[in-house]
Amino acid sequence: MNPFAALGLPARPGLTDDQVRAAWRAVAAATHPDRDDGGDPVAYSAAAAAYAQLRTGWGRSEALADLAAAYVPPADPAIGPAASAWQALVILPARIRHGRPLRLTVRAVIAAAVALLAVSIIPGNPSAPAVVAGAGLWWVLTARGDLAPPPGR
Amino acid sequence: MLAILRTLLLLWLVKQAFRLLRALLIAAVLAAAWPVTGTAAIAASAAWALGWPPARLYRAAAWSCLMAAVYAVAAALRYRAWRAVALAPVTSWQQASGLLIHGRMLQAILITAPVAVPAGLAVGGVAWAWRTAAVAAGRAGRHAFAPAVFDARQWKRQARAARGLLAAPGSVPLAARSGMVPVGAVIRAIGCRWTPVLAVPAGWFARHMVIIGASGTGKTNLMIRLWAGWYAAALAASRHGKPRPLLAALDCKGGPDARAKADRTRRVLRGVGARRIAIWPDEATLSLWTLPPRDLAVLLHQMTEHGDGAAAYYADMTQAVLTLAVGAPPGPPGSAQQFLDRLDPGWLEDAYATGRPGELAMLRAARPHVGDIQLRYTTLLGRLGPALDGPGRLADADAWYFILEGTSEPSVAEAQAMALTELIAHAATDRRAEPRSMLLAADDYSAVSRRVPLSNLYERGRSLGLGVMVSAQSWQGLGKDDDERYRIAATADGGLWVMQTPYPEPLSQLAGTRRVLESARKLLGTAWGDEGTTRIQHAWTADPDLIRRLHTGQACYIHRGTATFVHVARPKPSPLTLPAAAGPLTVPPARDGRHQDHRRDAPTVPLPAIPADGPPPLDDVLGPAKGSVP
Repeated sequence: MNPFAALGLPARPGLTDDQVRAAWRAVAAATHPDRDDGGDPVAYSAAAAAYAQLRTGWGRSEALADLAAAYVPPADPAIGPAASAWQALVILPARIRHGRPLRLTVRAVIAAAVALLAVSIIPGNPSAPAVVAGAGLWWVLTARGDLAPPPGR
Repeated sequence: MLAILRTLLLLWLVKQAFRLLRALLIAAVLAAAWPVTGTAAIAASAAWALGWPPARLYRAAAWSCLMAAVYAVAAALRYRAWRAVALAPVTSWQQASGLLIHGRMLQAILITAPVAVPAGLAVGGVAWAWRTAAVAAGRAGRHAFAPAVFDARQWKRQARAARGLLAAPGSVPLAARSGMVPVGAVIRAIGCRWTPVLAVPAGWFARHMVIIGASGTGKTNLMIRLWAGWYAAALAASRHGKPRPLLAALDCKGGPDARAKADRTRRVLRGVGARRIAIWPDEATLSLWTLPPRDLAVLLHQMTEHGDGAAAYYADMTQAVLTLAVGAPPGPPGSAQQFLDRLDPGWLEDAYATGRPGELAMLRAARPHVGDIQLRYTTLLGRLGPALDGPGRLADADAWYFILEGTSEPSVAEAQAMALTELIAHAATDRRAEPRSMLLAADDYSAVSRRVPLSNLYERGRSLGLGVMVSAQSWQGLGKDDDERYRIAATADGGLWVMQTPYPEPLSQLAGTRRVLESARKLLGTAWGDEGTTRIQHAWTADPDLIRRLHTGQACYIHRGTATFVHVARPKPSPLTLPAAAGPLTVPPARDGRHQDHRRDAPTVPLPAIPADGPPPLDDVLGPAKGSVP
């Protein structure tokens, strides 16, 4: 189980003790069995266990490393390149969002415009597919830098 | 006389005619090959204006060959005859030229682009390389200062291009997949191949590195980036059967900002998968007393100041008493208090009472001094504090950040540094412990360099599999004398990182020189004539004047006679949140069949825990509210 999720925290390296404590307070106040409505003992237990794990810097490091180890499993031959490619695809939207989405969009628009121009102005010419390929290649090569690095890198 | 003049005039006219003919011929060829000429001109102009090296144009040309390949395939599919396919570029050129004459420029460009772009980029690269070489050699330019002015202007543009690359969030990640450690955007590469991003193989860290840079030049950024990159690469290698990484970073200067640096280091290391990051002495401790008795006795002796001459007698006496105390029959002491208790004549005589006449004789000789030695070590261990008195082992964490107060308490920091480096060296050689891939980094080493013999460890590290990284604010801070400094710098096979520093000459010397062409022209009055000489000269590979002028974040990486000027990327972990684990973690078995789950080893530093006997009352759970997640 992800202890960060149990406390409603993002699993990222920069969390402080105060942030973890604040999250714990919020979850505990909402789920404690002493509440008039009986609270949510299961959620409270999960949050208590998560807080015990995340309340110190050591604990947070370990929890984060566990998640990273589960996320990056290159030593496991059972998970092949297809699964890795799938994982890369899954996080692509987040990488775009945390990168430079505006620049990516502008580049994409330019590449698409050049490609459309080629297809519309010189249809049937062997240069048209080549220009489309060139525009696409340019976008792919320049877009890499505009993506946020994947977790663990 | 007139005939001679007429002949001379004729010769001059013939010469000028040939020149004109040559120029016209070149212009005709360039005009005929207008798609390539135009692309090359644009490429070379862009390289000049944006500070790109010719290699960048060559790379772009290589990539754009894909366009030409697609064009060839499309032409083959269309014409279905090899001759027509081979002549397709010519056909396209003829078609495009016709379109150009009729003013349909866009159409003409698009038709010729698949061949003109790769060819033009390559030709532009060659032209730009020729131009830069000609200016550097003094064969081009309008005045004698042209090479210097050209170089300074290009440096500014190259630095700006590097900064631009760093602005992209994914251009320089903390770690690369191929076991390389990305460091920053390359400004200029001398003697080596240019790449947009400088990446150092993780294996070079085991060959030692030296970092020199004045305060505020971005040295800490560089070090944290190198640590994180090395850690990520070593961690990835550990998943394929190599030893797990262990980083030991000594912040030898200390002070209030050391805590902030430690916290930042921890965040970055967490981002690359470090599990336990210990900050010493604030959050974790180590035990000096885990060292083998012989090493412990030597270390304890070295930790105190002792002089030469008559003082040598007392130094020998102290060494003898320490050896007796540490090597006493009950076994080595387990704590500072146990050790101090042993520095008592009665205790020592009891310990050596049976069957050790030699030691007893030594004790009787040293008896008058034992009290003084005890007093001295009580003071020393008191000043060192409890952080070296355990509990804790280096193996408990994946990374240690040691804060030594080298500025405020230099003698204490020196003693602590000696103890810590000895513990690290012991961990590297301990055959009973799990083998680890280790990196020892000493930041601001000058604060403790007076007494800590890091050069010894540096040389030993090679055989121990222990990489050593030393940083200092200046060449002088690297060691107590030039001999020591050269021992450290000259054996840094992993490379030298030089940031802005006022005295880089010794480091530039280590990079060596390169051969350059230098042209001299004959002056006719105040103008250049048309005669001159060119000869081979030697110039610095890592120009000390350039290093002196480096800005914050810029560094020169010297390695094997090459120099790469780089703008170091600020180390930032990926902002992406890790997804939840799908299930319980499974750890692959080791090669020998044992289940290798070192990550689950319980740390000796106890973690606080929530009471297990049911949930505490709500009022006890909620303390004062502080902080919030942004």
